[in-house]
Amino acid sequence: MAKVFVIAEHRAGRLKTSTFELVGAAAGAGNETHVVLLGDGIGELAKELGPYGAKTVHLIQDPALKLYSAEAYSKALSALLKPAGPDIILASHTPTGRDFMPRLAARLGVGLASDCTQIGFNGTELKLRRPVYAGKATAEVEFMGPGPRMATIRPNTVGVPAPDPAKTAEIVNAAANLGTLKSKVLEVVKSSSSRPDVTEVPIVISGGRGLKSAENFKKLEDLADVLGAAVGASRAAVDAGFRPHRDQVGQTGKIVSPTLYIACGISGAIQHLAGMRTSKVIVAINTDAEAPIFQVADYGVVGDLFQVIPNLQEELKKIKEP
Amino acid sequence: MNIFVSIKQIPDTETKIKLNPNNSWIDTTGIKWVLSPFDEIAVEEAIRLKEKNPGSTVTVLSAGPARITEAIRTALAMGADTGIQIELPETADNNLVAKALAATIRREPKFDIVFTGKEAADDGAGQVSQLLAEYLDIPSITVVVSADYSPTSVKCKREIEGGSFEMVEASLPAVIAGQKGMNEPRYASLPNIMKAKKKEIKTLKMADLGISEADQKIRHKNFQLPLPKQAGKRITGDPADQAKELVRLLHQEAKVV
Amino acid sequence: MTWQTFLFIPIAMAAFGYSGYRFYILFKLMLSHRARSGRTDQLGSRFKTSIINVLGQKAVLRKKTPGIMHTTLLWAFLLITVGTVEQFATTIYPPANFEFIGREPYWFLMLVQDIATLGVLVAVAYFSYRRFIVRPEGLGRSLDGTLVLTFTGTLKIALFLMNGFLLLGQHPWYASAMPVSELVAAGLSVLHFSPEINASLATLFKWVHMLIVLVFACYIPHSKHRHILFSVANTFFKSLSHSKSMTPINFEDESVQQYGAAKINDLSWKDALDYYSCTECGRCQDMCPAYNTQKPLTPKMLIVDLRENLYRNRNQLMNGKLEEVSPVIDENITDDVIWSCTSCRACEIACPVFVEHTNKIYDIRRNLVMMESRFPGEVQTVFKNLETNGSPWAFSPEDRLKWTEGLSIKTMSEDPKIDILFWVGCAGAFDDRNRKVIRAFASLLKKAEIRFAILGSEERCTGDAARRIGNEYLFQTLAKANIETLNRYQVKKIVTACPHCFNTLKNEYKDFGGNYEVIHHSEFIAQLIQEGKIKPTKALDASVTFHDSCYLGRWNNIYDEPRSVLEALPSARMVEMSQNRAESMCCGAGGGRMWMEEKLGKRINVTRTEQALGTNAEIIASSCPFCITMIKDGLTTKEMSDKVRVMDLAELVDQSTP
Repeated sequence: MAKVFVIAEHRAGRLKTSTFELVGAAAGAGNETHVVLLGDGIGELAKELGPYGAKTVHLIQDPALKLYSAEAYSKALSALLKPAGPDIILASHTPTGRDFMPRLAARLGVGLASDCTQIGFNGTELKLRRPVYAGKATAEVEFMGPGPRMATIRPNTVGVPAPDPAKTAEIVNAAANLGTLKSKVLEVVKSSSSRPDVTEVPIVISGGRGLKSAENFKKLEDLADVLGAAVGASRAAVDAGFRPHRDQVGQTGKIVSPTLYIACGISGAIQHLAGMRTSKVIVAINTDAEAPIFQVADYGVVGDLFQVIPNLQEELKKIKEP
Repeated sequence: MNIFVSIKQIPDTETKIKLNPNNSWIDTTGIKWVLSPFDEIAVEEAIRLKEKNPGSTVTVLSAGPARITEAIRTALAMGADTGIQIELPETADNNLVAKALAATIRREPKFDIVFTGKEAADDGAGQVSQLLAEYLDIPSITVVVSADYSPTSVKCKREIEGGSFEMVEASLPAVIAGQKGMNEPRYASLPNIMKAKKKEIKTLKMADLGISEADQKIRHKNFQLPLPKQAGKRITGDPADQAKELVRLLHQEAKVV
Repeated sequence: MTWQTFLFIPIAMAAFGYSGYRFYILFKLMLSHRARSGRTDQLGSRFKTSIINVLGQKAVLRKKTPGIMHTTLLWAFLLITVGTVEQFATTIYPPANFEFIGREPYWFLMLVQDIATLGVLVAVAYFSYRRFIVRPEGLGRSLDGTLVLTFTGTLKIALFLMNGFLLLGQHPWYASAMPVSELVAAGLSVLHFSPEINASLATLFKWVHMLIVLVFACYIPHSKHRHILFSVANTFFKSLSHSKSMTPINFEDESVQQYGAAKINDLSWKDALDYYSCTECGRCQDMCPAYNTQKPLTPKMLIVDLRENLYRNRNQLMNGKLEEVSPVIDENITDDVIWSCTSCRACEIACPVFVEHTNKIYDIRRNLVMMESRFPGEVQTVFKNLETNGSPWAFSPEDRLKWTEGLSIKTMSEDPKIDILFWVGCAGAFDDRNRKVIRAFASLLKKAEIRFAILGSEERCTGDAARRIGNEYLFQTLAKANIETLNRYQVKKIVTACPHCFNTLKNEYKDFGGNYEVIHHSEFIAQLIQEGKIKPTKALDASVTFHDSCYLGRWNNIYDEPRSVLEALPSARMVEMSQNRAESMCCGAGGGRMWMEEKLGKRINVTRTEQALGTNAEIIASSCPFCITMIKDGLTTKEMSDKVRVMDLAELVDQSTP
């Protein structure tokens, strides 16, 4: 049984699912689970953590913490955690977590295991495994010297337990202790185009010549909306004017390596493969059973994309609904 | 401006990864080593900053085993002025590397800005830029896609989730960790490749910097290779069946949706 | 000596002096070029080819009617020049006529000259008709061309008038040798001039003729008509072999600071000779696949623009102010012009005066790539892939063995005792479509019981892509690595299915210590069929057209062997495209363009596919992985993939052989 501190994350007034994951995992393993919540005007959120197993929520509120900043977070956290004697400190490996945790680790004089995909609790020790070499191998992490043990955990690795509304956490206010800050977040800018770029998201759905027209790409866009995916295109589709060049995936376009790549109506010529071959999971939908794309696909659907895609959309909606 | 760039040499993405006999590390024989793509972006940004501020120098640093000289030469060929090679064991962790870099930079008379890549594509932890900044007691801004520089401060556009960006301002000196899209790294011209062969690379050992293996905080062990990729599954049936089965496999088997 | 002597000598001296001075400037500009071009080997062959092409007009005659007319013009002019020299001589010293050769020979000389004069006029009439009525695109509008025709025409008219009046005024003894002039005289006789006036008019028109000659002599160095001198030299110094290896750069030589051509004088004297020899006939432009698909490149204008660049910089070059010479990339020779070239060499094969267009383009590319890092962005990926993995696509060397799964193919590391090395190439190893070709050829080798092996993961890209794009340094790195491997295994004989690999291994590796007997698989299959080691027996029963690959055909003069292979297939009905053999249209992938986006104009591969579809053949046969990729893409674009297939020769023969 360890004293575990989970650094919570929130955006736009909501706690992130990955925070609940970590709280649930720590508490579920029988650890004394603390949560640190930093921000400004987010007191209500603190109440949501008890049902997942948090014992205490340390609430640090300050106008300078309204927007996330690595400097502010690491200063406030080290001031709180140094005297608190944690055995384990966890955060999610999100753009925020992966950013401030190293600074905090340096301040506490300990090592940090980043982007772990397997986590286990062993008394006051952590058993961790993480991917290395772009996932071509995994390795266990061993800490050297005294603790606390720090790790960032990849989101969606451990499940979120069902919350128990009967459980509550003690909410403690803590001072921010920020001192003078050398950096400042000026503003958060939402992306100008409504669609993410093919290089930015973990799921990419691409269309080729088989889509037959620019209008038909709307079907892929609708599917992408369900998954929060980006829409890419093969060179043939770009040449035919269906999509702009910035969506082109391939040797002479963008090289992507998403978690999931769905190729619709794409034959899989070598120039295209060069741009997406290293994707973790590849799905191909094509009427031509001999198309080269099936050589690299993990899951191949020989069929008419115009029939498969609407069905796919329906099925995905079913699992996306909570 | 005194500009510093920290780089790492990593295995090329096409290299097949094999493990050493006792699974304590990868088998480094036959690996093609290249300059990490994010670090190339960092080098390019450093050189562009130098070009905008005549009289500036770009020093490229790397900490690792002897083979990293080649990566330093690549950076010099792109246009960096001098190199510093810090000898560290193959298995050095982020902390040891950051401490070595910080100690090296602190020895220099002046430093205005440090560029790194947002992560090294082999380790993928993305810690060094922040650790380094903490040890130098300066701000760090990571995943930067564009930056505006003034003599005393920098304003960065930083990528966060959901396609959104943060605009962050920090005083200099600071550590800037570059992300894809920040710039297009130049292809070194042949005269620059030839000149790079003659540029100076200083070598330093841990003892010179007052650090030791005791500064290493984590160690990797029990390496495993993933199961070999199975041949693709063909999903049959009518479109409705195919869609259903596909989603089931993606959700339960592959766990990607 | 008469008053004519004293009038003529200073005028002639002034004219020839000026003309000679202008030629001297051209010559000096030619010598101000930096690059070397060794063209003094094989003198015997050079003399022979000069006679065949200059006097015999062989290359000019590739186009029948203009060719015949030009040959007439050339021979006629050579003959008339004898008369002109005599004319000048007798003006200075009246007794210096050529009658000393004998009465009958002289009479005969007058006859052929008279007919020749008419011949020139006929040719001038034809060329005027062609230039002003027919207006072929290749000729374009040219004041220069018009002036040259005018000069030529008026010279002969002056001659006929001179002769006419002479016959009327003096009636020389050889009058019977000049039937055409007699007709002119008959016509002029209606003027009823007295013999004295006729004689004076003869002298007048002689002077008119001589003055036009002198003015023409002053004009020629400014005009494309200078080709009458320079094209002779250009023919003598032409590249003697079909295959062309690019000149290697010695990177070890530290004195070389400039790689490739940034300025006009970075090219060689031979390049300058090319500009001077160009007659702006447009045959190159007519054949250029880039020009014919609306790219900004036309080989004709490239040569003209390079010449213009040279003239624009003549003061700087003559005075040694080399830093002030303007760049070779200017508002006419843009980056797009340089990158549009597919190195098909149709321009060079079409040129009647043997201009070598591609050398210049590739030298300019070398500067852009190696000195200025200025090239289409998508090419950087190719360079990185070649540097890291020795392949233009991002695949590791181990993946080169993937196509052998399920077949038992030996690698050299397993057993180097072989009859021939099978060089697979990158397309064959990594590209799904081309793996089928490689497997088919391997199957044929086995059926023919040939002992072969492959290099497998020890093979690297031959470097063709790097060299054509202009990255000579990267090419040499790859070449030297491959040569080291090949020599370590003591390889003597190589067969390959890719014409690019074939050309590089055969013609370009010898500059780096790699000397091998290299055979293309189409030649090898033809040989095996001829030797009876392969017997294609299963009927093909389809119509086939053959697409000649540039690197096999124009680059290496291999046209017959692939056709003999197709003809050996039972019931294959061969049909030729109208543009075949040396006139075959490029598929668009050469010159490194396989790796670049085609953003301008119409797709070259689609155009060629349309030509192939025009034959109504069911099968388009090829023997190159790039051509197959391009034509396959073309068929998909034209939505003809289910009706027409593109197949490699190896596949067709393998299917037909039990």
